[in-house]
Amino acid sequence: RLKAAVHYTVGRLCQKVGEKQRREFSRQVVAAIAETTFRQCIFAKDLEAFAHAKRSTVSTEDVKLAARRSTALFQSVYIQNKSEELAQEKELKKKREQRHRGQQRLRTCHRKPGTS
Amino acid sequence: MAAKEEEISFRKETINTLLSSFFKEDKTKLSGDAALLMAEMLKVFVQEAAVRSQKQAESEDCNQVEIEHFEKILPQLLLDF
Repeated sequence: RLKAAVHYTVGRLCQKVGEKQRREFSRQVVAAIAETTFRQCIFAKDLEAFAHAKRSTVSTEDVKLAARRSTALFQSVYIQNKSEELAQEKELKKKREQRHRGQQRLRTCHRKPGTS
Repeated sequence: MAAKEEEISFRKETINTLLSSFFKEDKTKLSGDAALLMAEMLKVFVQEAAVRSQKQAESEDCNQVEIEHFEKILPQLLLDF
């Protein structure tokens, strides 16, 4: 079932890439890429399991560490950007939640610096 | 439609179950952000595979990407990731 999920996503990604160039991917290729992605996971897991020495949760830092091994600079820069993006999203979410929780409280907070 | 296209990526749960199934210790967990980052990495990997095999097919004047094209780019791909 997991493989099916991976296969499905790989298929969609391939289709998207194929649309741009008007070149179709044969089903064999999609299956092969899915299988390779699977293999990729095995290596990633090893590194991640290795990376967390005293914790039992894999963090973004560990993923970044794993990414560093591959495609040295480009990848790490790219992943860096992505993780920053993620962090920003998180902050946005937090802000949104805060807004949901206490709009009035926030309003008073905004007012205070204005009045003072 | 454009927004939908950009969202093509592995599902977080898929990544979570996938990696968890590879962990030797059951206790090991994956943080949410790590899963998202991992999904992104795998996405890049797949896209790279797709684009490279497409290029290979292009250089051979084939209209369809066949398994032999993928076979040709696979060694370098694995070295790069």
